[in-house]
Amino acid sequence: MTVLPDHGIGIGWRPEIAGLVADLPGLRFTEVVAEALPTGTPPAMLTALRERGVTVVPHGTRLSLGGAEPVEKARLDRFVDAARRLSAPLASEHIAYVRGGGIEAGHLLPVPRSREAIAALTRNVRAVQAELPVPLALEPIAALFDWPDDELTEAQFLTEILERTDALLLLDVANVYANARNRGQDPLALLSALPLDRIAYVHVAGGAEADGRYHDTHTDPTPQPVFDLVSWLCARRRPPALMLERDGAYPPGPELRGELDRLADAAGYPRIT
Amino acid sequence: MTGPDGLAARQAALVAALVAGGPLPPGFDADDVAVARRALLRKRAGLVRYHWPRLAAALGDRWLAVFGEWADGRTPVGALRDGWDLARHLAAAGRLPACAAAELAAREVTARYDGESAPRRRRLPAVRRIGRTIAIQALGRVLVR
Repeated sequence: MTVLPDHGIGIGWRPEIAGLVADLPGLRFTEVVAEALPTGTPPAMLTALRERGVTVVPHGTRLSLGGAEPVEKARLDRFVDAARRLSAPLASEHIAYVRGGGIEAGHLLPVPRSREAIAALTRNVRAVQAELPVPLALEPIAALFDWPDDELTEAQFLTEILERTDALLLLDVANVYANARNRGQDPLALLSALPLDRIAYVHVAGGAEADGRYHDTHTDPTPQPVFDLVSWLCARRRPPALMLERDGAYPPGPELRGELDRLADAAGYPRIT
Repeated sequence: MTGPDGLAARQAALVAALVAGGPLPPGFDADDVAVARRALLRKRAGLVRYHWPRLAAALGDRWLAVFGEWADGRTPVGALRDGWDLARHLAAAGRLPACAAAELAAREVTARYDGESAPRRRRLPAVRRIGRTIAIQALGRVLVR
């Protein structure tokens, strides 16, 4: 199952690091947060990347696919519009919910791994797929707590959703690491149980220990165990694209480029810096 | 399943517990949810800092503590309004640092905010005094002293 040809190493496009991203000579893949993309003409630096042949994938964070309520039409329209305007070969969102009872949580929250939640997710994912002209990839999140009514393991839950919806997997290796570490489980056991044959592309990000837990902050460097998981994954079957997500506390350019080089080396792809 | 035991109701109860001071729903690990609640508060503080840079900068090392004390359990209304509400709260208590007062005063003369719905850009001139700072807006131009 391949939607993307091999694109190698990428990085999430953010306005704060647009200059650094534009200066990566080997870049062929990036992702933009769908809700941050202004309506109308995309930012000039993003358009320049498109003209260079860089693939840009819209990444939704607010559709709340795991919410019990249907996806809001205005949000869906904007998501679909982003994919069209970027001529993206696919789009992605999370297996999560972000609001309830009219209140925004401000972050991605886990859904119960239950039959009821699978039904809601399936309904919402299909509603998106009905409008989206390209394949949809779903990303499991890093969660700091589990629901008491979990009936399935993470791997079972994910496999069932992907099978029911025929969606692809956006695998976040750092989320796998965070969840396993916080639950006291072996990350490799969790990773190897996932439906890896459905991977569209891979996220990698940094985190930090706080409050007795590992937090997937996207504002800290990627730890070595996450790179080790990348190496294991790529030795088994290398995904067509792996990208670094950084969402704040941006380090100096050389540091960020060094992190991209480490990712390339761990994955066995050419460096893009 | 709908009703009080349905997914929608349980998801809403969890959001309320995490960001709006609601009780812990039955069955959840209290420690885990408390850790998530504090993580959400830190993320919210970061977003408000982005929208109100001078407010956050003026409070310096105390930003997270001041924001956390005010925001914990208070229903989020978006970073722009959260910061606006906090700045007004601090101004009313005489605790708003002077350089943050300029930021608030400039916002107050630029947009009309009733504290309950999205701020709306002012079409008419306006004058506001916050502490010793005065902001004047006319034809969209703002002067702060």
